[in-house]
Amino acid sequence: MNRALPEMLHCINTPGNIAGSFTDMSVLERQRARIKWQQEQLLNQPPCYFEGNDQFNGYSMPNHAQDFHNLISSEVGLVVKADPGLDNGWQEFGQFGGEGSGLGSSGFVNGSGFELNYGISTTLSCPQEVAAAVTETARRESVSPEKMSSAVGRESFKKRKADRNQSLKAVAEEEPNEKRIKECNEEDESKITEEYSNNSKNTTNNDNNIKRETSADTSKVSEVQKPDYIHVRARRGQATDSHSLAERVRREKISERMKYLQDLVPGCNKITGKAGMLDEIINYVQSLQRQVEFLSMKLAAVNPSLDFNIDSFFAKEVFPASTSNFAIGVQSEITNPAYLQFNPLQQLASCTGLEMEINTPDMALRRTTSAPISLPETFLNSSCFDQIQTSTAWDGNLQNIYSMEFLQGRSTSFSAQQFTGSNEASNLKMEM
Amino acid sequence: MLRQEFLKKWIMGLQICSASKKEMSILERKNAIKLSADLAMASTRNGSTNWRRALIANASKENDNTTLVDQILGKDSESIIKKASIPSAFHDERGTTCRGKKVLRNRCCGIRRAKKMAASAGSIAKKLVKKRTQVLKRLVPGGESMDEFSLMEETLDYILSLRAQVDVMRHFANATPPN
Repeated sequence: MNRALPEMLHCINTPGNIAGSFTDMSVLERQRARIKWQQEQLLNQPPCYFEGNDQFNGYSMPNHAQDFHNLISSEVGLVVKADPGLDNGWQEFGQFGGEGSGLGSSGFVNGSGFELNYGISTTLSCPQEVAAAVTETARRESVSPEKMSSAVGRESFKKRKADRNQSLKAVAEEEPNEKRIKECNEEDESKITEEYSNNSKNTTNNDNNIKRETSADTSKVSEVQKPDYIHVRARRGQATDSHSLAERVRREKISERMKYLQDLVPGCNKITGKAGMLDEIINYVQSLQRQVEFLSMKLAAVNPSLDFNIDSFFAKEVFPASTSNFAIGVQSEITNPAYLQFNPLQQLASCTGLEMEINTPDMALRRTTSAPISLPETFLNSSCFDQIQTSTAWDGNLQNIYSMEFLQGRSTSFSAQQFTGSNEASNLKMEM
Repeated sequence: MLRQEFLKKWIMGLQICSASKKEMSILERKNAIKLSADLAMASTRNGSTNWRRALIANASKENDNTTLVDQILGKDSESIIKKASIPSAFHDERGTTCRGKKVLRNRCCGIRRAKKMAASAGSIAKKLVKKRTQVLKRLVPGGESMDEFSLMEETLDYILSLRAQVDVMRHFANATPPN
């Protein structure tokens, strides 16, 4: 006992100092200071924690049941308070206390059991503390009311404790956990309940306060609104006459459009700079236009007459296309030997190459696109890949036709290289 | 919504085409398909934007497409074409004046930069942007006579409808029965 007292007083002093220095502040301010202090202490929390534990172990030696009880009960409070990082541990411990009589009746008679329990509570609280440390900064604004209230409760309690830290019993009485313990022991029951009710009132009051505060904070945040006029701000050295202002507004508008375009064009997100974005846009538009061209060509090749039946179209949406008729059509229409050369880097590209291959003999035109059409990434990604994926029905067709064309002995040099996995733009050279 | 409208108009145009001509080579067929698709795309929103008008005007200018245009667009075609012709002329004038201004400004800037002999990177970037803008203007129908801001808007719209067109055509191509 004698040895314990100065230590405990010392322990009290650390939070007590703060409480003492902030006595003239309002409750909320003190809360903030308290939280700040906790955050600071969280950093050097582990040594603190061990210190407290050692202390505790040291003091659990005496065997006087009642004194020991008091000692422990006060000790717990002290340990926790000397070590504010253990706030969650404190709550945990409270829950342990709520579990109840295990702590109060059996656990407290022999110190070892309590030690064990306490150890469990602290170990349990450890990850929570880490989480708290992580989330502390994130929700500094919106600290959950419970935690705040608990902190506040302890705050007020600590203040009172600082006032009369001489009597251990008084300290013990004020602790909710110890209250439970004492309830178990059935000592000073009426007094404790009184205290308890006072305490709970305090905490609820503070709780309300905090809730109000947080709601006020959120309302403040929502109050911040965007002005509905276009804000043009001239930086240092920029001209402020109406012409250059108008020019700046125009540029801003254009950049806004560019942003929309950036969202629209695939693969344009990572590119910064106007020139690069324009490049991407140009490529995309070109690829789309080429696709339209290609698709119309394909349709022209597939259908010898322009009689498209919508009924058949919708029917064919359900059933996969059959190939027999089409093969005949290809056979009849092949007149000019078309020389095809594909250098696809990917299998995907080769598949589209096959599709092109089908159509090119039908077109019966020798057009040499001498310049290698460098298909950009977007084209490959957007058109070819989708095409292959959506038209699985085509695969059968392609194989049939491909074999057929080999039977006809066409000069198709088709080098299907292995899938390199490189998403580089493949140069799809085609001479047709 | 856009796609359905486009499909309807496209099919209509194709039927008109097939009715007007019986025997066609593949190239002719392809051109007909593409033209009808373009017209359908341009007429889906009744020519609210410049590129649609320009597309329709281009199509109607060419030789014997007028009947097709008329039939696809129905009653609105004449008014659209008128609209298309009037703004295009207007824009042409504006475009020339703009170009003149730009040239002047460029000269001024060039002189200034020559004096400074710095800021070469900035000028290069500007040149690149200008070049690409020119290319984009060539790509978007009727884009030659647009200023930069409207060009961006038109490009947005054009890309959207091109996407729809490609989508519908692809599905159509995948699903049409080969005859």
